[in-house]
Amino acid sequence: MTAPASSGLGARLLKSAAFRLAALQAFLFALAALALFLVSWLAARNYIENQLRQDISDETSEVVAQPANLRANSVRRALARAPRNPYDYSLFERDHTLIAGDVLHEPAIGWSTVEQREEHVGGDEYVRHMLVLGTVLEDGRVLAVGRDLASVEQLDALLKQTFTWASLAVVLLALAGGMVTSLSYLRRVEVIATAASRIAAGDLGARVAITRRGDEFDRLAVSLNSMLERIQTLVEGLRQVSSDIAHDLRTPLTHLRQRLEAAMQEATSVESYDKACERALTDVDSVLETFGALLRIAKVESRQRRAGFAGVALSPLLERLAEDYRPLVEDVGRMLHADIAQGVHVHGDALLLTQMFVNLIENALRHTPPGTPVRLKLEALDKVCRVIIEDAGPGIPAHERSRVLKRFVRLDASRTTPGNGLGLALVAAVADLHEIRLTLADAGPGLRVQLDFTYPQNFTKGVSP
Amino acid sequence: MNLQACSGLLSRYRTTFAAHAMKILLVEDDMDTRSYVSSGLQARGHCVDESGNGSDGLSRASAQEYDVIILDRMLPAVDGMNVLRTLRNSGTHARVLMLTALGDVDARIEGMEAGADDYLGKPFALSELIARLNAICRRSAYTSAATTLRVGDLELDLITQRVFRAGRQIHLQPREWDLLKYFALNADEVITRTMLLEHVWGFQSSFQSNLVDTHICRLRGKIERDFFGPRLLRTVRGEGYMLCGKQDH
Repeated sequence: MTAPASSGLGARLLKSAAFRLAALQAFLFALAALALFLVSWLAARNYIENQLRQDISDETSEVVAQPANLRANSVRRALARAPRNPYDYSLFERDHTLIAGDVLHEPAIGWSTVEQREEHVGGDEYVRHMLVLGTVLEDGRVLAVGRDLASVEQLDALLKQTFTWASLAVVLLALAGGMVTSLSYLRRVEVIATAASRIAAGDLGARVAITRRGDEFDRLAVSLNSMLERIQTLVEGLRQVSSDIAHDLRTPLTHLRQRLEAAMQEATSVESYDKACERALTDVDSVLETFGALLRIAKVESRQRRAGFAGVALSPLLERLAEDYRPLVEDVGRMLHADIAQGVHVHGDALLLTQMFVNLIENALRHTPPGTPVRLKLEALDKVCRVIIEDAGPGIPAHERSRVLKRFVRLDASRTTPGNGLGLALVAAVADLHEIRLTLADAGPGLRVQLDFTYPQNFTKGVSP
Repeated sequence: MNLQACSGLLSRYRTTFAAHAMKILLVEDDMDTRSYVSSGLQARGHCVDESGNGSDGLSRASAQEYDVIILDRMLPAVDGMNVLRTLRNSGTHARVLMLTALGDVDARIEGMEAGADDYLGKPFALSELIARLNAICRRSAYTSAATTLRVGDLELDLITQRVFRAGRQIHLQPREWDLLKYFALNADEVITRTMLLEHVWGFQSSFQSNLVDTHICRLRGKIERDFFGPRLLRTVRGEGYMLCGKQDH
């Protein structure tokens, strides 16, 4: 198993974007090194050649400065001092015959490079390269002063060698670095890919491992994980809802079936048919009602409605609701206390916000005994605006408070009151859509629902209308 | 169902014949819904032409004058919204009630902006459809110049927003005034709870609340309790409410 795995890794390495990048980088490095070499080589060569020319010119001047009849001897003397004297000299007659010196053929006047075959002491031949300055003397003879170019050639060879090794090392290092980087990248990508395939295989709880480095991969992993968290919540919610729907709709549908069956068997008059149909219609309406509520929640949760957000004047909205609900509250011997701050505006969907408040107010009415006071309050605090809907009824036990916001959850105490267990789920969905912090708390006694409009641009304290 | 029951049902339909028959074009592609709505409307004495798709509906609507066109939103060939726009562009004045499975607010607003007179989400009760048809046909009968509405011995002054019954003033809360005015504008017609929620409170039709019943109850107390005479605001079982001006009901 190891061999194919490692060859697979090798193939992946060669294909990996990081490695390709490293290879490209190595190539560019090599090009840069070549350019650097060319520039420095030319500069060094130029410098040395200039130096040589200067020396040769000086030496030529010295020989020229001597009296014409002594020059041949001084050339011979200088040559005798070789190798301490690095110069080569020759003096040619007007008819181009060599008078004295070791530059065997008369060079062109001015600067030239001369190749000359010579023999080592051992007898084998070699070619010498010399830089030579040919000068016509005042007596018509030609003086040639030159220097061996061996040192320049050695420098060339040395530079070429150094460059070759250095650039080879740079390329290899770049490739090795690329390999190490790509391997580490590949490993991190592998971790994400593994998590993804585990999720694809059905393990929705799988998450991408996070290191302590806090690098871009960790940031990616954190956002992937939070995305996965949301997906898992949604999928599990969906599963839960599907089974809840199946369960919750079975009851009214079963009743419906029973009623229709009973009507077919037992009804004998128009009145009894009418009654059976009427009850069947009620059952169907309750099923449709539940479906409608589910669709509304799904629509809110899909967040499409954010597109229609606009400024909502919260104060008049709540005042109107309080006014509308006051008769409803007072009819059953309750009291509605409304305490609404003026001039509060939020950003949102007015219809959804209204439905949210209506659900909460009606919840307070439905789940409390007659005579219970209900309080509706709007406060404009420093950074948030807060709506509180509070009753002095039996309240919700602390451990049930987060559960009641889910679909179809009905507490045992409220099983006998009308409702489909979707009211608070819609409240939670609307609050989530508007980034409202929803808190259920103990009003001691009773339930206190607190809605904090926290989203910064979601809230402005305006002037009283 | 036995024969006796059948004839009983039929006779019940006949008793609910509309006072004024309407000429209605029903454009709906779902055959079941079409025959359900069509037979229900015919049983109430209306004349119904049926059409199963948008282009046919459009040519029928252009060829004849109808009082009301009931138009499904999602239709084969030409979409309901396009049919509506074409009709309005060609200057057809028929009232249009749109039916749709997309019952949400945005779809409703879009439909109303395109020139629909009302919008009803599926599934709906036939009584709801009929109540809305009556309301949109009635709306045209009122001129905006009227300053007083009279229903029986009830009198609404639209300018001062005061209400009198048998000459005595009744004090109403603002919402009760809105409610009574809507009833008076649609007197002798059945008004459903969702119509009240939509038109008086401005809530979407899918709103869940028993606000309506409580407010009706209060309003009824104010306009009926201290007066002799017949009940004005009646409950129509399973359908809604009706403000009765004609006392032969």
